[in-house]
Amino acid sequence: MSTIDSSNNPVLSAAEAGRPLRQIPENRSGSALKKAENRAAYLFLLPWLCGIVLITTLPMLASLYLSFTNYAVIGLPSWVGFDNYVRLFTGDRRFVASIWVTLKFVGFSVPLILIFSLCVAVALNRGLRGLAIYRSLFYVPSLIGASVGIGLLWKEVFGERGVVNYLLSLVGIAGRGWINNPTFALPSVITLNVWTFGASMVIFLAALRQIPDSYYEAASIDGANALQRFRRITLPLITPVIFFNTVLLLIGSFQSFTQAFVVSNGRGGPIDSTLLYSLYLYQQAFQQLQMGYASAMAWILLIAIGLATAVLFWSSRYWVFYGDR
Amino acid sequence: MKDTKVPSVAIGPVIATSLLALALATMPMGAIAQDNDLQGDIRFSWWGGQVRNDKTDRIIQLFEAANPGVSISRETADFVPYWERLTIQSAGNNQPCAITMQSRWLATYARPDILMPLDDLVADGTLDVTGIPDAVMDSSRGADGNLYMIPHGVFYFALMYNEQMLENGIAAGVEPMEWPYTWEEYAEHLRAIQATLPDGAVATHNMGREPDAFIPWVQSHGEKVFEGSEVAFSQEIAVAWFEYWEELRREGVTESPEEMISENSALVEESNLANGRGYATNRPPNQLGSVQTVTNTVNPGATINTRPYPVGPDGTVGMDLGTNGIAIGANCAAEQIPATAAWINFWTQNPEAAGIYQSDNGVVSIPELANAQAADPATQPTQVRLIELYNEVVPTANPVFWPAGGYQAMTDVLNRSYDAVAFEQLTPEQGAEQLISELQQQLSQAAR
Repeated sequence: MSTIDSSNNPVLSAAEAGRPLRQIPENRSGSALKKAENRAAYLFLLPWLCGIVLITTLPMLASLYLSFTNYAVIGLPSWVGFDNYVRLFTGDRRFVASIWVTLKFVGFSVPLILIFSLCVAVALNRGLRGLAIYRSLFYVPSLIGASVGIGLLWKEVFGERGVVNYLLSLVGIAGRGWINNPTFALPSVITLNVWTFGASMVIFLAALRQIPDSYYEAASIDGANALQRFRRITLPLITPVIFFNTVLLLIGSFQSFTQAFVVSNGRGGPIDSTLLYSLYLYQQAFQQLQMGYASAMAWILLIAIGLATAVLFWSSRYWVFYGDR
Repeated sequence: MKDTKVPSVAIGPVIATSLLALALATMPMGAIAQDNDLQGDIRFSWWGGQVRNDKTDRIIQLFEAANPGVSISRETADFVPYWERLTIQSAGNNQPCAITMQSRWLATYARPDILMPLDDLVADGTLDVTGIPDAVMDSSRGADGNLYMIPHGVFYFALMYNEQMLENGIAAGVEPMEWPYTWEEYAEHLRAIQATLPDGAVATHNMGREPDAFIPWVQSHGEKVFEGSEVAFSQEIAVAWFEYWEELRREGVTESPEEMISENSALVEESNLANGRGYATNRPPNQLGSVQTVTNTVNPGATINTRPYPVGPDGTVGMDLGTNGIAIGANCAAEQIPATAAWINFWTQNPEAAGIYQSDNGVVSIPELANAQAADPATQPTQVRLIELYNEVVPTANPVFWPAGGYQAMTDVLNRSYDAVAFEQLTPEQGAEQLISELQQQLSQAAR
């Protein structure tokens, strides 16, 4: 039997605490009800189960099998064992180049997007009038940034006779073909990726608005300046969201494809300077028709993303503050 | 050597084809050719832009009007996605009945389980190849010796130049140049023209990364490009090619490496040639009409003309010839074959269809039709020039047999190798070494 504690909260006895909140009678009609409920649950889960099995699991298993074969799309696959994996790590200069390009892309894109989106979110969180409009405007590039149209637009903006060079010419600087130069092509693609910061920004903004004003008021009364308030209150309280955004951005950046594809006409050039891993995988699969080889690359990418995410989760125990531990 | 070994997976289509050919052979020809007897819905795929799409659509409407029982579904795409889509369709056994095919890509698809061997249909008259020269027919055969497409257009690559810039140059003392000219003579001509061009204009697009220019270079120096699925040209010839263009680049006769890359993928509207910023470039001559049309808008008064690639030191012509044609998918149902064959016959043989198409995708493969087009006052002058130049170069041209994946591999590796040379990350020797080794690697992969 439950009792009442000093704060008027009900207190359960040990026996009551171990009992399920909702008792389903053990008689026949109850059992039938339970079965009916289970059937309904499985029925609702069925579309998802079909999707995960037919659209995700089976193709993944097929891809795993193909990674051990020589399969040119046309014709039948032939078993080659670990040959594709051995070739990737021992005889493919472009595979190594694509890894370096991707690491540079991820290494610059993820921190820049995090910093940029957090700064904009903090600025928008200062009670601006028309916040909804600004939020929408900043979010738009996230929706269209990975599209072919924006890739083409970017190509024009950074092209020989593009807007960037025109603006530079106004201050007497001779521009160049940014996306056609091996030194500047990747930074141009990274810039395009950073421009799509809106999704992270909206998530940061939602997190910032959850922080009670009373924390800041108390800190102000204690003499904390804006920087101290940001460092001591804002940052620790939004570390779960920083972690969430980092995981999403990391996975997304490793798989980036469209921007580099459009800007380099599908080549990853000039001189492989924008040859992201996914783009090279695509070239192998759909241009050179080496589907077995490309499947091996896909599994290596999956493992790499899994490892990077695992490291991130492991590190989170040292820097993510959930408030309940 | 003719390989008669047929993969087990191909037996079904081969038997079906043989039975079909037998059945068709016993039918009176009139039954196939009769407009009202012909029935079926077929799919036809091709590549190209809006102008070609419109022409193709008009021809299809003409055919459907003449054959009320036949309906043709249109499937079009740009050139590169076209092949990617065909590959996926072939993997799913979902290729169209009538497939536009090109000799440069044929080796990838020339298998009885993807394309139907057409020799029997030609032998029994179901497919009409009257008037198509044997040499052109032979370019439509696979490595197994089977005929896999009926060629309807012969294409070649050539140089384009701005006639006004040439006339200005001649007025300023530049020697006129008549074909055949050697590569060195052509380089001297470009240097001379460069001195007469306005500021910001260059004499030529840098073609160091262009397979369509590299092939004539190799062949005009007496070497082969491929031997089966092996790279056949020497490292020396590749080094000489890179040095040829590096010399012109350093002299300021070509554009910068950055602009070279953007020119390579530029729309006609953006190109230096159409905008009066360049004297010469390389483009397929069948684009002469569209280049001239755009030039009339962005650079009024300029006339664009076309001329052959230079010849080797001993006068050897190295120009490649290719063919475009129509193949039949191996998955095409037996009852769809008569309509498909009738469509191919209409496309290749009907003078009205040829008149609409105006050699849009290569000079029409039947010389009589080509000459009739050239003589027709209604034909665009640019198309007349295309046919004239074709007649000029075809007797000495040297068609390349492209192995499976060869064109794709050549484009990819030559682009990267010369880019590295032009941006001075590799020496011409290192670039040539990379070109040959990576090209061979890709060919070997494709041949596995």
